[in-house]
Amino acid sequence: MSQHSVTRYPVSLQINGERYDVDVAPDTSLLDVLRDEFGLTGTKANCLEAECGVCTVLLDGKAVNACITLALQCQGRQILTIEGLAHGGELHPLQTAFIECGAVQCGYCIPGMILTAKSLLDTQPDPDEAAIREGLAGTLCRCTGYQKIVDAVAHAARQMNQQQSQIKTTTTGDRQ
Amino acid sequence: MSVQGFHIPQDVAETVALAARLGSEAYFIAGGTDLVIQMRRGRRKPGHLISLQALDGLKQIESGAGLVSLGALVTHKQIETAFAADPVLYGLVESAQVVGGNQVRHAGTIGGNICNASPAADLLPQLLTLDAEVVLTGGNGPRQAKLADFLLGPGRTTRSADELLTHIRFRRPAGKAATAFLKAGRRRAMEISVISVAACIGLSPDGRLEDVRLAVGAAAPMAYRAHDAEILLQGHKPDEDRLSRAGILAASAAVPISDVRASAEHRRRLVAALLPRAIRQCLLRIEKAAQ
Repeated sequence: MSQHSVTRYPVSLQINGERYDVDVAPDTSLLDVLRDEFGLTGTKANCLEAECGVCTVLLDGKAVNACITLALQCQGRQILTIEGLAHGGELHPLQTAFIECGAVQCGYCIPGMILTAKSLLDTQPDPDEAAIREGLAGTLCRCTGYQKIVDAVAHAARQMNQQQSQIKTTTTGDRQ
Repeated sequence: MSVQGFHIPQDVAETVALAARLGSEAYFIAGGTDLVIQMRRGRRKPGHLISLQALDGLKQIESGAGLVSLGALVTHKQIETAFAADPVLYGLVESAQVVGGNQVRHAGTIGGNICNASPAADLLPQLLTLDAEVVLTGGNGPRQAKLADFLLGPGRTTRSADELLTHIRFRRPAGKAATAFLKAGRRRAMEISVISVAACIGLSPDGRLEDVRLAVGAAAPMAYRAHDAEILLQGHKPDEDRLSRAGILAASAAVPISDVRASAEHRRRLVAALLPRAIRQCLLRIEKAAQ
């Protein structure tokens, strides 16, 4: 959307826990900044109209479409992209579950799908199948027919809840 | 022409002063879920964007003393969450949760949904049944208006370019009351409404329809209250025959379009079929809440 003569504004973005400074035009999207300025191409570009969800990132923990979020609206906010999901080389349970369940075909929607799922599980740790389908409705997959994706999210939810209860048991055990 | 300026005012007074200074080529931007798409399509060409992101005071839902106040920057997701366990206002949850996907509902605001004034805006019918009022602040200070009077037609409201919608308020229905919202689309998710209906029903102790407020969306240039249907039901027991006659009355007030989503005739039939269903849903909710 931007042209050369346009005023650019400085913005400081917290992406995957690191600070990135950049000057952007008023109508530059977060998606364009992630991909073109910082090379974070795990966030995909497709419809550019908030219909398909492949550009989903977490903004302050909530899934949003980076294609219709302006970079300047993200000043001082926390952005999580797919590149920031694994910790110390260890995959997030959602990533592991997608692999184990064979939920990935062409893969193009998967970064957005996983972050959409993370946003869902962060607020609803134990969703039933209908809740998972509803939660993922904003992100489209044109390969899989969704069944294995839904299976993967349910699997990840079980894994994460198990880990959570193990942590609780351990801490309770320590206190006794 | 591309956007020349991006402004982040820190309070409502500064926002309104900026809007007055920059004139009609300045646009307020909140979630941006509609505006950014329109800009990319070249349909809207703001010279300046006034971002409302720092106006934290407009991001709250306040509910007390029978009055509910929603800041204009409250997101659809906030509405879904705030009233999730509230049978009286559950229709607002149903209205908010059919908008886009979670990504859009995390960003899109009630103020944007209202000021866009789309005939198919999903929050409008239920807000109309709640007799909601809008509060705006402009150069001359704040003013209030009934939502029904504020909405003029597709994309048109009585808001002037330098006025900011700050709050949406309504009185919480008292007594044995409930709300319900139903939407027909071609598919169940990510779909613009073909038709939507909303009901707000209050029952008398002897089971008569004491307070009947009904509204229809996507069936006319603007969402409307089905006053004839309300009058037909007011004071009566909710028997099936009367409910379906109310549906037909509400449908006869529709002036739907035929488009790629549905024919005008199909839309009228949907109004007649869905409105009684929304009322029955309210009755069910009242019954459940009493148990």
